Amino acid sequence: MKITIGHLYPDLLNLYGDRGNIQCMKKRCEWRGIEAEVKEFQLTDAIDFSSLDIVLLGGGSDREQMLVCNQLKTIQKDFKEYVEDNGVVIAVCGGYQLLGHYYDTSEGRIEGLSLVDLYTEQGSPRLISNIVIENEAFPYPIVGFENHGGRTFINGNKALGKVSFGYGNNGQDKEEGVMYKNVIGTYLHGPLLPKNPHVCDHLLARALAKKYGRAELEPLDDAQEKEANEYIVHRFTKS
Amino acid sequence: MMVQIMKLRRITAILTAKALSFFCKIAGRQGVTMAGRIALRIDPDILKDLAAQVREKIFVVCGTNGKTTTNNLLCSAVESEGKKLICNHTGSNMLAGVAAAFVLGAKWNGKLDADYACIEIDEASTVRVFPHFTPDYMVLTNLFRDQLDRYGEIDITMDLLDRAMKMAPDMTVIVNADDALSAYLAIESGNKYVTYGISEKVFDEQNIREIREGRFCKRCGERLEYDFYHYSQIGVYHCPGCGFSRPAVNFDASHIHMSNGLEFDVEGRHIAADYRGFYNIYNILAAYSAARTAGMELKRFDRVLQNFNPQNGRNETFSINGNKVLLNLAKNPAGFNQNISSVMEDPNEKDLIIVINDNAQDGTDISWLWDVDFDRFAADNIRSITVSGIRCQDMRLRLKYVDIAADLIGDVRTAIEKSLKNGCGNLYVLVNYTALYSTHTILKDMEGKV
Repeated sequence: MKITIGHLYPDLLNLYGDRGNIQCMKKRCEWRGIEAEVKEFQLTDAIDFSSLDIVLLGGGSDREQMLVCNQLKTIQKDFKEYVEDNGVVIAVCGGYQLLGHYYDTSEGRIEGLSLVDLYTEQGSPRLISNIVIENEAFPYPIVGFENHGGRTFINGNKALGKVSFGYGNNGQDKEEGVMYKNVIGTYLHGPLLPKNPHVCDHLLARALAKKYGRAELEPLDDAQEKEANEYIVHRFTKS
Repeated sequence: MMVQIMKLRRITAILTAKALSFFCKIAGRQGVTMAGRIALRIDPDILKDLAAQVREKIFVVCGTNGKTTTNNLLCSAVESEGKKLICNHTGSNMLAGVAAAFVLGAKWNGKLDADYACIEIDEASTVRVFPHFTPDYMVLTNLFRDQLDRYGEIDITMDLLDRAMKMAPDMTVIVNADDALSAYLAIESGNKYVTYGISEKVFDEQNIREIREGRFCKRCGERLEYDFYHYSQIGVYHCPGCGFSRPAVNFDASHIHMSNGLEFDVEGRHIAADYRGFYNIYNILAAYSAARTAGMELKRFDRVLQNFNPQNGRNETFSINGNKVLLNLAKNPAGFNQNISSVMEDPNEKDLIIVINDNAQDGTDISWLWDVDFDRFAADNIRSITVSGIRCQDMRLRLKYVDIAADLIGDVRTAIEKSLKNGCGNLYVLVNYTALYSTHTILKDMEGKV
């Protein structure tokens, strides 16, 4: 079995330890004897989405997102097809905002990919905090760190979780992130996947199921992952 | 009457700050920032008036990494010219820390006896400090991602520095030409600038995975082209789009050797220092260039380097029960990667402790750990790695994902004791910012007890 991970524009979208998300998916495949290949795409590269099993869209500064957004128009159609065909996507921070229709900033509108029905508006102050969210579909909370000026509204889509500590999508509705088909968008970094191996395995399982029709993931020893996760849960929601 | 009240206020501010600093020292706490804050509250003009008493020039040192070492070296260089100076040695570099350096250096009656001031300033604090005094020189060492939760993206830091430079149009900027971000700021500022750098290729192997900032031209957005990198985005670059390029270098270090300490030539002089770490060449070069730009001859610069021992936890060595312990600060990816290089330059067997805190001054966001190339610690001569500090679990997890097993001991003193007991006699302790002072105190204490 083999998983191919496409990392979009790591030169521009690489804030907040995005490399850790890639590393986590790669290692958790390898530890199970599943081959994992990471393909990095630069801004002008052509992307064959049919060759990818997981797409990672990371975070960048507003300025860098502006540079990326012009290029995104050229891949929008193929990317949309990939998503509608249940392709797996993990989009973090800036990448999450780019999933939507637009991000309105004081410097102008950053057009998004319109892959998911959501939009983002700049707000003040920046929402900066450790964050803990809960989703019944996952066996324990999802933890991370958020740092975003944008307020995201997901228009009735399913959220990734309910906020038990921190701000979430917009600091108002106590929701964080979005889940649409096999797409997860979230403001959580820290990075997201190493401390949330259940989310990582969810993505891997979806990718394997789509590719091979079945998805049995051998359990791994996640004691250290859980300890790091529990530390945050305990410190911010139980004290 | 008015004058007397102002004078009384000045004396009260200085005495209060001095007393506070004294008691904090006794209590084993630094207290510098608090002393500065209280002095400014009692007398808001105190920094302005004290800085105005500096007889010759004021230097400030800015940049993500190397501020404290560069500034301390610059201080020693200026002192070697027989000059008196004011300096924030401890690295307290926000407005209150800067004020404290002047206040604690003044006499009780508000008189300051200094030819020069050498002050490091946190980049974001420049715009708060410059209304109190405008420096004659600013050294700008480099710009890397650092504490994104506090400072935001590098673009925000660059905007603040740009504003600061415009607040001081007569200030000369002494800038690292090899960092495209710093050089761009200096060139575009309209201020006079002087450059230092390394034009020769030092490393044959280029680490292609290392995180690099500012790959795209700040002027036109085109991807910068590099002849080679020294580390991170530091190197020799040009923009194929708009012609922006590394500026001509005024102080160019050549004939770099690192086999026996650090050696290089600049301005036809041979410079040698018994330090480790390539990045220290930049720190030495920055201090040298600044003092030379201010017209100093630096005839005794060799001795300055020989005697340089700031004892502030930057590359500081301790001897505990026959064990060699080296403490160093590593607080962002670029700095940590340089620290790893410096640890790996030591071919001997070694044990390692990594201490990671997430207090406000460290940045509460520790995602940067994943931008550090820790896989380089998977070498045979590293006998053990212990993770410690508030976020030791995250650090252990970071290592797990490059297949390195680590021991977890949250308490720093226990971690050091255990590593010494079971270790090979050669221990490296890498810590981030708020762990520095406490770890330094622990090591000093352990050294003293032997």
